[in-house]
Amino acid sequence: MKNSWKLASLLCGAVLLAACGNGNGDTAGEGGGDSGSSNGGSGGVDLVINSFTDELQYPIEVFEERHGVNIDLQIIPTENYVDTLRPALESGSGAPDIFTAEIVYLLDWIEQDYWMDLDEFGVEEWSDEYVEYVWELGRAQDGNMKALSWQTTPGGIFYRRSIAEEVFGTDDPDEMGEQFSTMEGLMEAGQMLSDAGYRLFPDEGSISPFTMGNNPAPWVDEDDNLNMTEERLSYFDFARELRDNRFTALAPAWSPSWFASFNEPITYNAGWDDLDDADDSDGTTEVFGVSLPSWGLPHVLKTDATETAGDWAVTNGPSSYFGGGTWIGIYEGSENADLAFEFIQMLVNDEEFLTEWVQETGDVLSHTGVMEEVSEGYEDEFLGGQNHYEFFLAEAENIDPSHITRYDQRLDQMFGSAVGAYVEGDLTEEEALQEFYAEVQNAFPQINVPQD
Amino acid sequence: MQKNDNRAYLFIAPFVIVFLTFNIYPILLTFYYSVTNYTGMGGIENADFIGLDNYRRLIQDDFFFTAFFNTIRIWGMNFALQLGIAMLLALLFTDIRLKLKGVNTFRALFFLPNIITIASVALLFSILLDWNFGSLNQMLLSLGVISRPINWLNNPTYAQSWVALIGAWMWFGNTFIILMAGISGIPTDFYEAAFIDGANWWDSFTKITIPQLKPILLYVFITSIIGGLQIFDLPMLLTDGRGAPRGALNTMVLYLYNQGFSFANFGYSAAIAYGLFLITVVFSAITFKSMYRGQVKVKKGGTK
Repeated sequence: MKNSWKLASLLCGAVLLAACGNGNGDTAGEGGGDSGSSNGGSGGVDLVINSFTDELQYPIEVFEERHGVNIDLQIIPTENYVDTLRPALESGSGAPDIFTAEIVYLLDWIEQDYWMDLDEFGVEEWSDEYVEYVWELGRAQDGNMKALSWQTTPGGIFYRRSIAEEVFGTDDPDEMGEQFSTMEGLMEAGQMLSDAGYRLFPDEGSISPFTMGNNPAPWVDEDDNLNMTEERLSYFDFARELRDNRFTALAPAWSPSWFASFNEPITYNAGWDDLDDADDSDGTTEVFGVSLPSWGLPHVLKTDATETAGDWAVTNGPSSYFGGGTWIGIYEGSENADLAFEFIQMLVNDEEFLTEWVQETGDVLSHTGVMEEVSEGYEDEFLGGQNHYEFFLAEAENIDPSHITRYDQRLDQMFGSAVGAYVEGDLTEEEALQEFYAEVQNAFPQINVPQD
Repeated sequence: MQKNDNRAYLFIAPFVIVFLTFNIYPILLTFYYSVTNYTGMGGIENADFIGLDNYRRLIQDDFFFTAFFNTIRIWGMNFALQLGIAMLLALLFTDIRLKLKGVNTFRALFFLPNIITIASVALLFSILLDWNFGSLNQMLLSLGVISRPINWLNNPTYAQSWVALIGAWMWFGNTFIILMAGISGIPTDFYEAAFIDGANWWDSFTKITIPQLKPILLYVFITSIIGGLQIFDLPMLLTDGRGAPRGALNTMVLYLYNQGFSFANFGYSAAIAYGLFLITVVFSAITFKSMYRGQVKVKKGGTK
């Protein structure tokens, strides 16, 4: 990349080049790139699908077999997905027939003319059979259904049964859920675990989904005011409490030590902190649990916690939440809308297919009818025989879609960094909060942040 | 004659057409975006014209100025390191008295980091620099250099230094090759004559190599500053993509990207692009001016 800059600058002169660079980055570069990629799959293609994961591979194979059609699935890496697809959607040229969206930008996209209105296919009839929040998130403000999702992604606290048995005298998910149903209860559990030489969570981020406690409220209210509730602000104190009392193992999410903590005692603070006041003589400690959305079970724990398989269970935290999720819809200008709808129908509403698929992936689906059938008498080996489908579906029902705003993911990230800086001791709570407000104001000038 | 002249336009037409379509048109379009409140969604035709509001915001935007200084700091450290290493190596390999062997092998070796994808580089270093499990901390600890692990990517100064260092590591080979070419182009007679006259190494470096190398240095400097002002991928991939730790890796282009694509302030991000363009022009102009003035002086000195 940089090398071509250097070559090009020889040709057209240094100064002009900088300008070209900017212009290209914004418009022509992306537009050109995309039309190139969607032309790539010619040769008897009946449908073009764009997505950022390979999850759709299996349904596409099934659909192709059933209908004798040829579908071209173009997978664009997550980090380039929006930049690549949006120019095509904006300009209307080179867009696929079907494309997916992540929760991060879903609420922006359903308000645009990107996806066609699915009501003309009568999808509203299906709505009774779906997890409410998943269904409602695909609905634009004018009431039209724009996107659907085959999955639901509620979260919970996964924990190690053997440690629970030792410390709490029970490994029963319901009893543990009782303990974790308030932030105070969670902290108390942290203390009990700490006394026994364990750590509650790998890092402070694990409690961030629960900091709303029993009083969930949207990040931004109808008048665009940033909603800093007491509960939300309590994240600062709880994170500090976790850190100061050594309830966490300083293993940030997705870091090597985070993964290691699922399997074995990890070197607490990598064994190099002053160990005088630490009770673990060999400098290692075992982590009790981690909070993850439903997809964390098949995609994180089952793949990475192989040593401890069978020793896990999942239960609720102080509040219900969901994390991530993929929605799918038909491009507004698609010429193959009928076929595209056939595909979506199979993907989200074909009970036979869904039953088959869920057994393949272990994902939690948003189709309650299918899930009820699948979960009937189900026992997950990895979770020591627990029926996690039942648990996650119950959690999913608790999620109130009216609390979800288009800002949620960004604000969660920004607030998380602010709390992180406070816990690390880089900033005071007040400074961190002010920095967070400034960042929010800068990113979203339309939001009113609290003024002192 | 007249006919021949006209035909020449045909030959330059491909370049002009491509240039107009893919460079000039986007530049003008970007300017149009920058005077609207376009969010990047819903079509530019539905955006409102807001005059120079975005530019007014830009000149009062602390985040932009911080991003500017971050960029300059990262580029400055990077350039000093990169040029220093490359110059040292180039001198070693061109020294007529040392006559080092294997120049071609080393040239290829030095250039290797440059061909690794930046995403892999970022991943590699984020693992190396990991606080708890990173090999760098482990190594320093067992050597007894430090007594506590350093959270490299959580400290603004360290994080910026690492980006500069990684950049220098990736690019010194490239600079080395250019400098080698430049130095090889200087007639050896100069050095021989200086040697006979009793000039030492330092004299021939400052009085022959540097002045003769000025056009090459100018080229290295300008391309480096243009690349440096646009540094984006490494800061983006090394931490959270928004400039963590605490905004230290928020460079101008990263800021532009986030405003446009993450925060849906497309119009404002276009204004940032123009701000960046202006800054690049100014920097290039200053460099050009000062370098050429310097060269004229040398020439005068030579004729006297």
